Amino acid sequence: MANMVKKANAFEILNHWVMAVSFIILAATGFGFLFHLEQLNSIFGNFNAMKLWHNWSGVVFAVSLFFTIFHYLPVSLSLGSDDIAWISKAGGYFSKKAVVPPQDRLNTGQKLLYLIVLTVGTAIAVSGLIIWLRPAAADIRKWVLLSHLVHNIGFVLMVTIIPLHIYLATLANPGTFRIMVYGTVPLEWAKKRHAKWVQKMGF
Amino acid sequence: MSRKALVISPELCIGCRGCQTACKSWNQLSAAKTTNKGTVENPPDLTPNLYNKIRYVEVPSESNPVRWLFVSQRCMHCDDAGCMKICPAPGALFKTKEGAVGFDKEKCIGCKLCVAGCPFNIPRYDEKDKITKCNLCSDRIAEGLEPACAKTCPTGAISYGDRNSLIGKAQGAGYQKLYGEADLGGLGVLYAFKDAPKVYGMEENPAIPESVIFWHKVLKPLAYWGLGGAVVASLVHYVAFGPKKDEEVK
Repeated sequence: MANMVKKANAFEILNHWVMAVSFIILAATGFGFLFHLEQLNSIFGNFNAMKLWHNWSGVVFAVSLFFTIFHYLPVSLSLGSDDIAWISKAGGYFSKKAVVPPQDRLNTGQKLLYLIVLTVGTAIAVSGLIIWLRPAAADIRKWVLLSHLVHNIGFVLMVTIIPLHIYLATLANPGTFRIMVYGTVPLEWAKKRHAKWVQKMGF
Repeated sequence: MSRKALVISPELCIGCRGCQTACKSWNQLSAAKTTNKGTVENPPDLTPNLYNKIRYVEVPSESNPVRWLFVSQRCMHCDDAGCMKICPAPGALFKTKEGAVGFDKEKCIGCKLCVAGCPFNIPRYDEKDKITKCNLCSDRIAEGLEPACAKTCPTGAISYGDRNSLIGKAQGAGYQKLYGEADLGGLGVLYAFKDAPKVYGMEENPAIPESVIFWHKVLKPLAYWGLGGAVVASLVHYVAFGPKKDEEVK
């Protein structure tokens, strides 16, 4: 067995899966509402049940989004010259010869993804709560319309970005997916992809 | 079947509010206790138990110090209805074959988006969060009867019938253009106004909120293409460039 190092703890893995499952329920029911997909009734029963699934999955998503702050926000905010270089090389995804600068515990792409997910996720959660709870206000119709717009712009961004995230964290980068199962990676793998982090941790 | 409509003529309305009562009677809507605010407009607003309300507008002028206008306020049964556009639950709001916008409380999921999507601020929701509004007495008109309000109106201020022939009749009576003839694809409730609509408390150019149009025309297709595009782009990348294998990472 190769020399393994721990990259994610159990809580981070669990939280990520809670978020992933709630997201899939939210996106599926969201498409159901947008396009009146009555085929989904075979899963959820009817649209009344689907609304309950959507709203409460939203609560679960928001709670897990909150916990991600402790897992990903500090490292995601530590953007520097290496990150700019990473972006200029498009992460090395479009050339086998590209050499990308050494990366933190999260690479530049993951950092940007997280910042987008945190921002968009918060906007979706807040706008969703306004539509759901309809707080008493004289111009509540305007607030609901604004929330509806924000909620749907967020939806478009999420259903576009998350499939790319899933692809990049599975097929595109072999060895990455196991982090969300075991939390560990081979040291050699980590040295190649997260050199700065390996150095910082002193592995 | 040709589209049916109501034509409302405030100039003929005497404010008896028989239509309010007949509406409640037919639709089995309970009465509400209200307080006298010194106006015949009562209750003051549409409620889950009030689908049709007479708005009372006083327009005093030098020549006519007692000009009182009574305007029936209720669902306008738009051809292009904002409530239907924004509604996420199939079948909760629907078009009847007469062109009325009907609703089904069983299918309504209580999201209340229709309340925000309506250009006329008509839908209300009951204690179970389900939509309520005028449905043009769908059950009556399906049997060839007039809606309860039109049936009971003693002065002809509310007339029901074939939409085109009602418009023709109004033109014969000297109304060049009825309110709602062309708005929102043509309203199912038309008004014979002698003055500017705002005098009667109506908006000049009612329209579905722009954000709802933008959502419908741009965001909905984008959601579809965004998800599909991301999946296709991933597949294309996998085939064209392949994964980052360990031995290739420098």
